[in-house]
Amino acid sequence: MTGSTAATHPEVDLDALTLNTGAIRLEDLIDRSMLQDVIRSVFSLFGISVRVFAADGTLLSDQAEQQPLCRVLNQLPDGRAACATHVNTIKRLAPEAEQSVEHDCFSGARYHVAPITYDGRVLGRIILGPYLPAELREVPPGLLVAVPTLDPAKARELLPRMPRARSDTVQHVIAHVRSVLDLILFSGHKALLTSQMHLASVRESYRELQDKNARLQDAYDRLQELDRLKSNFIATVSHELRTPLTSIIGYSEMLCEGIAGELTSEQTEFLLTIREKGDQLLALIMSLLDLSKLESGSLTIQRENADVVPILEDVVSSLLPTSRKKSVNVSFVPPSSPVPRIPVDPGKIRQVVLNLAENAVKFTPADGRVTLSVSVASDADPDEDGFGFALLAAAASVVEIRVADTGIGISADQREKVFDAFYQIDSSSTREYGGTGLGLAIVKRLVDAHGGSVRIEDNTPHGTVFVVSLPISLSPAP
Amino acid sequence: MQLDFAARELTVKLVYYGPALSGKTTNLHALHRFADESARGRLMTLETRDDRTLFFDLLPLRFKGEGDLALRLKLFTVPGQVIHSSTRRLVLQGADGVAFIADSQLAETQNNASAFLDLKENLKAHGVALRDMPLVIQYNKRDLPSIRSEAELVQMASRGREPVFAATATRGDGVLETFISLLHLTWTSLDAVHDLRAKFKINPDAFLGEVSQRMGATAPIDEILLRRLGGTFTPRRRESAP
Repeated sequence: MTGSTAATHPEVDLDALTLNTGAIRLEDLIDRSMLQDVIRSVFSLFGISVRVFAADGTLLSDQAEQQPLCRVLNQLPDGRAACATHVNTIKRLAPEAEQSVEHDCFSGARYHVAPITYDGRVLGRIILGPYLPAELREVPPGLLVAVPTLDPAKARELLPRMPRARSDTVQHVIAHVRSVLDLILFSGHKALLTSQMHLASVRESYRELQDKNARLQDAYDRLQELDRLKSNFIATVSHELRTPLTSIIGYSEMLCEGIAGELTSEQTEFLLTIREKGDQLLALIMSLLDLSKLESGSLTIQRENADVVPILEDVVSSLLPTSRKKSVNVSFVPPSSPVPRIPVDPGKIRQVVLNLAENAVKFTPADGRVTLSVSVASDADPDEDGFGFALLAAAASVVEIRVADTGIGISADQREKVFDAFYQIDSSSTREYGGTGLGLAIVKRLVDAHGGSVRIEDNTPHGTVFVVSLPISLSPAP
Repeated sequence: MQLDFAARELTVKLVYYGPALSGKTTNLHALHRFADESARGRLMTLETRDDRTLFFDLLPLRFKGEGDLALRLKLFTVPGQVIHSSTRRLVLQGADGVAFIADSQLAETQNNASAFLDLKENLKAHGVALRDMPLVIQYNKRDLPSIRSEAELVQMASRGREPVFAATATRGDGVLETFISLLHLTWTSLDAVHDLRAKFKINPDAFLGEVSQRMGATAPIDEILLRRLGGTFTPRRRESAP
């Protein structure tokens, strides 16, 4: 039923175009100039006037020539009156579908009125005439009766100048015109339907896409909400863990210092282990807090124009004790050309570099090397192949901090995932190397917060290079 | 369906549904050939260059019954390819009856089933339950090798609700049976809801007999309906939605 679907697709009304052909009008389907062309060609072939009317009586097209006799008749008052009556009669003729009617004029001329049909419905009429029936030889007496003022000699002279045709020829002409019109109407209807279907299909596809988008947006919103809840949860739990942990660390420190009495060497050793593990746990909790702050966006970046060289030197020196223990050589290679100051939060950048360097030391076997360096580079997209370089190069300059190691390396397919929180390439490595899997996640988020980027490159012959790019000009943080 | 009491005119929309290349358009071509000159309109096809239906085919048929009642049938096909789902849904809109043209080839089993589920989904999108839609099933392409056997079809049909017909549309076999059965089922279903019999004061059986004759059927309707492999002609009752 049409009623049930109108609510779902109010804009698409295919039914009106296909089912309800009664609503279709001749003038909607046919091009007027095309109709005029058809009619003109009929007129030029047979010399008989043609008129096409819409169903409501509007004249759509005509190719008519006033006959000399008609002109004379129209100049006479009684002739004009008789002619008007006759024309009205013809106009009122409404032939049934598939039938055409002949109508004889008082002058002896004849008209044919035929319906224009489409899909069994009358959309208009076609009128052919006047013409002189082939069998008419003399001026009909009716003419002189209807128009007494007409000069019979004049009538005899002018009547034969009207085009003469056999009735069945005119029937053929009409049949021909109707079939041509039918073809035009069919093509018109088909074109109308095709365009409407195109429109409807596009609308329908668009509606589907919108539905899909809405569902995706819903899912996205839900996930974001879940993510927020998770961050809140982590923050709360971390806080709650930190309070008792601080007490544990504090009390073991006090015990170590002998505040509660002398300790045996064994007791001191146990207490030191408790403290060390407590510190490790505290570091983990602090990392979790950092991460949740970064994810919730509540961590503020306090930018100042900072020189990154001292930061790198500081990181190297603070790593020396650990690296010596592992026999890993950690060094800083000073830049060959000066590196400009960049708008960053020095504390956060120090944390980034420290995390990367610690990580590098952790995964580098004994006698390996970890090298820190810094340089100015261009951030232009290599795919762009130098287009617009003159404009973009200045804006796209970055400071690149590189942390290279000679460790076990990271395969290409793992390079995106290592920045996910709690991700470790191989869970067995946790046991071997320790760590929480939060370090790189924090690095990534801190660099992102600076509007920079971090990527991983190969270090030949083996090992990994972490490259942190920080924009030189201040661009808005995402 | 559209009712015009003043003009005593009834327009019914029948849709030929089914998987791609199952012979929906071929069914319409055959019906066009069978139909009496005065009953049939021009078959309109909106197809792509490779002869596959793009939007739909439309075959208009019209019949005059007793008391000057005019019955107009609009037979549509849908494009079968999966990607044209939105077009199928558009064409299905306002359908009064559906002929499902299935491909008898064993390899097409899954496509038949998918197209049927697609029909169900698209009807649902228009707020119509499958059980309320007059539906006949045609297993087409009976002349091809590697097809489901007739015995199997009979067995499946006897367990289903819809009347099932075997057909070879390229030869015109089974096409008329499918059409007449769909018209019969659609008519009885519409009559059950709208009481057309009383409203138009006609004898529907005689009228359908006349339509059947004008479509070139030589056998009486009852006999044509009996040619089904199985299924019943229980009218589907569908109240018009508000």
